[in-house]
Amino acid sequence: MTNYLEVTELSKSFAQFHLHDISFTLPKGYIMGLIGPNGSGKTTTIQLILNMLARSSGEVKILGLDNLAQEQQAKAAVGVVFDSNYFSDDWSAAQVERSVSVFYPNWDGARFAQWLERFRIAPDKRVGELSKGMQMKLMLACAFSYDAKLLILDEPTSGLDPVSREELLEILSEYIEDGEHSVLFSTHITADLERTADYITYLRHGELFYSGGKDEFVDLFRLVKGSREELSQQVKEKALGVRTFPTGFEALVKTEDLPAFPGLCVEPASIDEIVVFTSKEGGGDHA
Amino acid sequence: MRNTWKAAKLDLALVRPYLKVICLTMLLPIAFAAVNRSLFTGVSFAMCFVAMTTGYPFAVAEKNHMERLYGILPVKKRDLVLGRYLFVLMLGLLALAVSLLTQPLVLGAMGESVAGGDVLGAAVGGLFLFSLYTVFQLPGYYKFGAIQGRMFLYLPVAGFLVTLFLLPRLPASAMAAVTGSSPVLLGVLALALVVVMYGVSIWCSVRTMEHKQL
Repeated sequence: MTNYLEVTELSKSFAQFHLHDISFTLPKGYIMGLIGPNGSGKTTTIQLILNMLARSSGEVKILGLDNLAQEQQAKAAVGVVFDSNYFSDDWSAAQVERSVSVFYPNWDGARFAQWLERFRIAPDKRVGELSKGMQMKLMLACAFSYDAKLLILDEPTSGLDPVSREELLEILSEYIEDGEHSVLFSTHITADLERTADYITYLRHGELFYSGGKDEFVDLFRLVKGSREELSQQVKEKALGVRTFPTGFEALVKTEDLPAFPGLCVEPASIDEIVVFTSKEGGGDHA
Repeated sequence: MRNTWKAAKLDLALVRPYLKVICLTMLLPIAFAAVNRSLFTGVSFAMCFVAMTTGYPFAVAEKNHMERLYGILPVKKRDLVLGRYLFVLMLGLLALAVSLLTQPLVLGAMGESVAGGDVLGAAVGGLFLFSLYTVFQLPGYYKFGAIQGRMFLYLPVAGFLVTLFLLPRLPASAMAAVTGSSPVLLGVLALALVVVMYGVSIWCSVRTMEHKQL
């Protein structure tokens, strides 16, 4: 299997935060969700992948190209969408094309026009006049116009209404349909990943908690529920996180530990629940 | 070189909404030259004014958080820096050309005689002053940004005031000795100094940019 993105032991040290030995691979033709609570290192990881930030150690390969030694070729194959627009507000969509297209040898003007039409963005519309959702689509239109093989999105759905979020997820699914493109999608709205992501990389406190298949990730955990009387010391010790209510409790446990909880109600855990429980202090080791 | 050129074009696109203001700064010094009846003063004023506009691409980029665009473009950070220097230098040369074309005409219409040597002296002097301002401004903007580094915007004004203050105080004989003994050598030395200053300035800016988080 060809990997479009290989991150190996990537580290970055700041005064207050350390990203420590992050390793994961994203195969060609798949969507990977990069998840974790705020401040877990998602954006730092993306900035390191794009060499927007100097790394302390580690290695990043994009389509087999070293992101430092072959930075230009690597970046020419990557499309990036951030949580907010990175074009000048004074530019029109047409001006965006004139300014950006010269940097990409594969830029296809006709394709850009098609995407603008599909996204209903008038070429003479100023970027500053576009809604947040439309600005995100303009960034996508650019990435699609030079046939970026790898699309990296940093919190693209934050601040979008549900309709725009749904539309984005559809576009991403369509984008990888031909098996020739991949997506790395950082978000803390994990519901977005339930349907679209094939792989999950979960960062917690600057460290890698999990990287692998999404279904395998979800399958690693279960939610057990019971009355307050059933919340034994053994449950507290084994659980990765416990939430108590006046009427009972629910706890996240590893699936392999389930035999230790006979008689309790067991339910599948959502990605959101896994992140919430495991993000708390003492919320378990690497799965 | 192609990437440098592309980066310079990107800067031109950034300042496009401010082109009218930039054009005005190029034409306003004509009045200054006419009032002072001096080509050198007019050109110095023009170069001071245009040097004050070199912060525009930094300001626009900062206002629009475009450092992220610079971070994803398939060019090296060095090319982006070189592109900005190229853009700034072209802006300076355009202002110099406009000044040298228009101001002698206006001065001539007012009865002032402007010799070829005056034009050449003003050209070299103007380019030197512009370089002197921008070689400090650009690394300053790269280091501190357009907002925090706004003191660099006023550097040309300080430079211009110093020039205005010093010029009348220089003994005429000393001026004549310097410019008259070997004007070609003086011009070549000034241009060589410009090249060296830009070399050091670019090196500082590239270093700053390469260590900067985009």
